[in-house]
Amino acid sequence: MNRPTVNLVRAELHRLLARRFTQVVFVLMLAAFGITFATTVASTHTPTRAELVAAEQAADLQREYLRTAIVQCEERRAEALRTGNARFAEDCRSLDPNRVRLEDFLDGVFVFGESAGDLVYFLAAFLALFGLLVGASYVGAELTSGGMTNLLLWRPRREVVLGTKLGTLLGTVGAISVASIVAYVGGFWLLAEAAGLPGNLDAQFWTQLGLLCLRAWLLALVFTTLGFCLATLGRHTAAALGVFAAYLVLWEIGARIVLNVIRWPRAETLMFSNYVGAWLAKRITVYDLCALDGCAPYQLTLWHAAGVFAVLLALIAGAAFVSFRRRDMS
Amino acid sequence: MAAVIEISGLRKTYRSMRRGVRLALDGFDMAVEAGEVHGFLGPNGSGKTTTLRTLLGLVRPDAGQLVLFGREVPTALPQMIDRVGAIVESPQFFANFSGRRTLRLLATTGGLPDARVDEVLEQVGLRDRADDRVKAYSLGMKQRLAVASALLKAPELLILDEPANGLDPAGIREMRDLMRGLADSGVTVLVSSHILAEIELICDAVTIISRGRRVVAGPVADVLSRFDKGEFRVRVFDHVRAAGIIAESGLPVTVHDDHFVVGDLADPAWITETLAAHQLWVAELTPLTPDLESVFLQLTGTVPEPGKRHQVDDSVLPPAPRRPDADENELTVTAAEPEVTP
Ligand SMILES: Nc1ncnc2c1ncn2[C@@H]1O[C@H](COP(=O)(O)OP(=O)(O)OP(=O)(O)O)[C@@H](O)[C@H]1O
Ligand SMILES: [Mg+2]
Repeated sequence: MNRPTVNLVRAELHRLLARRFTQVVFVLMLAAFGITFATTVASTHTPTRAELVAAEQAADLQREYLRTAIVQCEERRAEALRTGNARFAEDCRSLDPNRVRLEDFLDGVFVFGESAGDLVYFLAAFLALFGLLVGASYVGAELTSGGMTNLLLWRPRREVVLGTKLGTLLGTVGAISVASIVAYVGGFWLLAEAAGLPGNLDAQFWTQLGLLCLRAWLLALVFTTLGFCLATLGRHTAAALGVFAAYLVLWEIGARIVLNVIRWPRAETLMFSNYVGAWLAKRITVYDLCALDGCAPYQLTLWHAAGVFAVLLALIAGAAFVSFRRRDMS
Repeated sequence: MAAVIEISGLRKTYRSMRRGVRLALDGFDMAVEAGEVHGFLGPNGSGKTTTLRTLLGLVRPDAGQLVLFGREVPTALPQMIDRVGAIVESPQFFANFSGRRTLRLLATTGGLPDARVDEVLEQVGLRDRADDRVKAYSLGMKQRLAVASALLKAPELLILDEPANGLDPAGIREMRDLMRGLADSGVTVLVSSHILAEIELICDAVTIISRGRRVVAGPVADVLSRFDKGEFRVRVFDHVRAAGIIAESGLPVTVHDDHFVVGDLADPAWITETLAAHQLWVAELTPLTPDLESVFLQLTGTVPEPGKRHQVDDSVLPPAPRRPDADENELTVTAAEPEVTP
């Protein structure tokens, strides 16, 4: 990066971090994490010897039961397949006795390996919301306050100014997200070690968790960019938040009902929320209302989500930059 | 002298969905020479701010040519911008930052040392209030901060859109000295203002705009002398008889309550001499040179009349300029020349 760009980034970073709104949203996010953590701390304890022994026995009993149940299940399944009733063939994998774990029989014990995924979903939602709010307000406030106009009197290349702002914003939100993820996941892991059970933390677990955290991080950046670009297009923080709220109410709720009433095929593919879900969960199965009439449920994967995100970002960011380049500033 | 700003044939229409189209600039021309203080005058809504915004690349013109330091803008604006300091229509600053922090951020953006911030704060008289938040500033203090932001770059061209807005008498005076001082050190100043007495005091040249077109441009003295009809006010004991004597020579004379005015007079000594010959002793003989205010009101057709309320777009619409333009350096009066009554 050359010197003028560095100067611009420094000034932008200063502006972003000095914004009261950024600080408030950040503190609120920390508070949400704090509350989650505190309630978990309050509801977990290190299992005593007696509890462990009892749980071990309960687990053994369960395994015993499943070993017989699975044999019977396999027999019924073979029978169904033989008589051509494939539709009624049971899936016996859920009866696998190897899936019974000690942790399932412990009450009031936080098991990191079991809960980490759900906790990261929660984290992802907060980071995305944080990015959306900060991204929208950062550029929105500059546009309405005249700060942008002042800046353009120093740096007339608008695409450079807007690009630097977006870059600085993404860098900052990205860094805060990384720090949050590390602190959050690390915090719960330490909690499990100290007052709970770590669970089964093999290499596969850590890989999956790492990838999930990576996706949560990228999701936060997607929402940050969306907030920033929508506020740029609408010239106002409220424009971005308004579009977002209107989208949720009118489309995700209103249009979903209408589309279901008119039996629109694959209506769920039109809902952005499904892609957010698919992105985090890697794969989700969705059902249209017509499923009752025999339509098959279908799956949305993280690759569908990646495609939708890419197209949406390209469109909205492209529109924001073109509009900002051409508009009259007052 | 080389022109620092040359604008020709500038057109700008604002389009909005609700209010339709509004023609803000309609073939506007302007030239500002290096090292001068150039006044930019016009009634409300005549297009001054729009012109300055276009020059600074904030607004896209529909047509016309803008040249800054000999290079076409907005294309070459990024290379020119370091040489131009500007305030456009009371700039808004971030209310939660202090004045010093506001300027430091701009200095960082422009790669200027922090010491420069203290210099300009001192220069505009905000040194002792520099660490207060902008939202705790008075109108005039905000305006001073704006001026400071324009001075920060130590620009070769300073563009000030109504800098005196909200300033106290001392502030206006300091503003005047500041502009004069900068001009003396070689800075070109383009200043729009409605305080015409002020403009008359400090400007070397003026451009008057009305409804998006140029009405008049040129050195202040030329503009004024153009409307100087050689009138003198004469006070004398029996002023009615005296007026009669002067009128006999064929000069235009208007008699007032306690004095009379004579026009087309080349040499005022002639009055004293003629009246003395009739034993009439002149008590006062004052040249009635028009001031910028009366010239402005006449040229823009905004002279207040009793019982009539002027609306903002009622000013004179000058005839569309001829293209290509004639001699740029000559005093240009585009309007039909109206009568000036001082
Ligand atoms: N953003 C805008 N949208 C629509 N019309 C505008 C806009 N800005 C200015 N105008 C119109 O353009 C014309 C010129 O406005 P401008 O602000 O250039 O006037 P001005 O000479 O600076 O007036 P003042 O002395 O009041 O500051 C006015 O009729 C105004 O209503
Ligand atoms: Mg104006």
